[in-house]
Amino acid sequence: MPKKREKAAKVEEEEPPVIEIFLFKSDACIFCPRAEEVVRETIDDFDASIFKFTIINVTETPEAAERYGIFALPTVMIGGVSVTGIPEPEMLLKMILGAKVSKKKGETE
Amino acid sequence: MSEFTIERMKTGIPGLDELIEGGFPKGDTILVAGKAGTGKSILAIQFLYKGATLYNESGVLVTLEEPPRLIRRNMLRFGMDLAKLEQTGKLAIVDLSPSKEIAPVTIGEYPSFDLSGLEAIIMNHVKRINAQRVVIDTLSIMAYKFRSRDILREEFFKLCAAITRAGCTLLLTSEVPAQDTGLGVFDIEAFLASGVIVLYNEKISDTSRSRSIEVLKLRGSKHSSRIHSMRITDEGIRVWPGEITPSH
Repeated sequence: MPKKREKAAKVEEEEPPVIEIFLFKSDACIFCPRAEEVVRETIDDFDASIFKFTIINVTETPEAAERYGIFALPTVMIGGVSVTGIPEPEMLLKMILGAKVSKKKGETE
Repeated sequence: MSEFTIERMKTGIPGLDELIEGGFPKGDTILVAGKAGTGKSILAIQFLYKGATLYNESGVLVTLEEPPRLIRRNMLRFGMDLAKLEQTGKLAIVDLSPSKEIAPVTIGEYPSFDLSGLEAIIMNHVKRINAQRVVIDTLSIMAYKFRSRDILREEFFKLCAAITRAGCTLLLTSEVPAQDTGLGVFDIEAFLASGVIVLYNEKISDTSRSRSIEVLKLRGSKHSSRIHSMRITDEGIRVWPGEITPSH
């Protein structure tokens, strides 16, 4: 029995860490729909289970944007860094990679 | 001469209202420009404090530079207890200063953004406390936060229009770089506002400086065209309407 438990724990450890992606947008922002498309297209190339994609509509919940100090839209935030404006996929990939590395680093420490 | 009079919003700053026909035109955008250390933030926050305590008009302070805890501490020196006003719903401080711990590090900017988020954040507080006065301190910091100045210029116009459309009187502060002769880093500050107040702190000798205030423009008002003495006292800013600064 203890052996089985050990095995289960190992499987859990090997699960890839979830990377949280936030997109801040508003109803009035004309660039935001394209920014959302770029994010979706970029993460489509990966296993969907490693991402948690959250869209924050600042028109509906301005408090969330205020909490993070984000007021220029669209802004994409991944793992403590952000880009403003419609992002280039390469930039998003760099941010995703950065978030993955820092998550792994955090796990080993 | 028409008998039509423009509704005024008293600043409550001793001496200033006498220079501007009793107050700022209600619902206008006013720019307070000056070099570092001239008292722009004090004047702007005093406008909110006096509005709340003397005229029962609530206000929103949007701080883009100084963290709220330092603003509260600094204004207490003048006997202005901002925390108390916040507790009673007479003042809202919107912290968009770079010192926020939770704020992400910006690593990229593309010239395809707007300030609709800032508008939503400000208008949320305006509605919440039914604000009549709004201060944005300071516009200049945006020049260092974002590279796309053309976008910012256009967005400032939209932002000011949205705030004043809601019936609020808006005060913007703008820091003039040390060697500059204009009214701010964007070169459009004067166009944003229907009123411009300039603060000075000029060196008049090797050992002293003299503070003064000038109403550069105020649409719809017969304002003073002189430069008047101003001091930062224990009770905040005080203007001497009868005193003309000797250095100018």
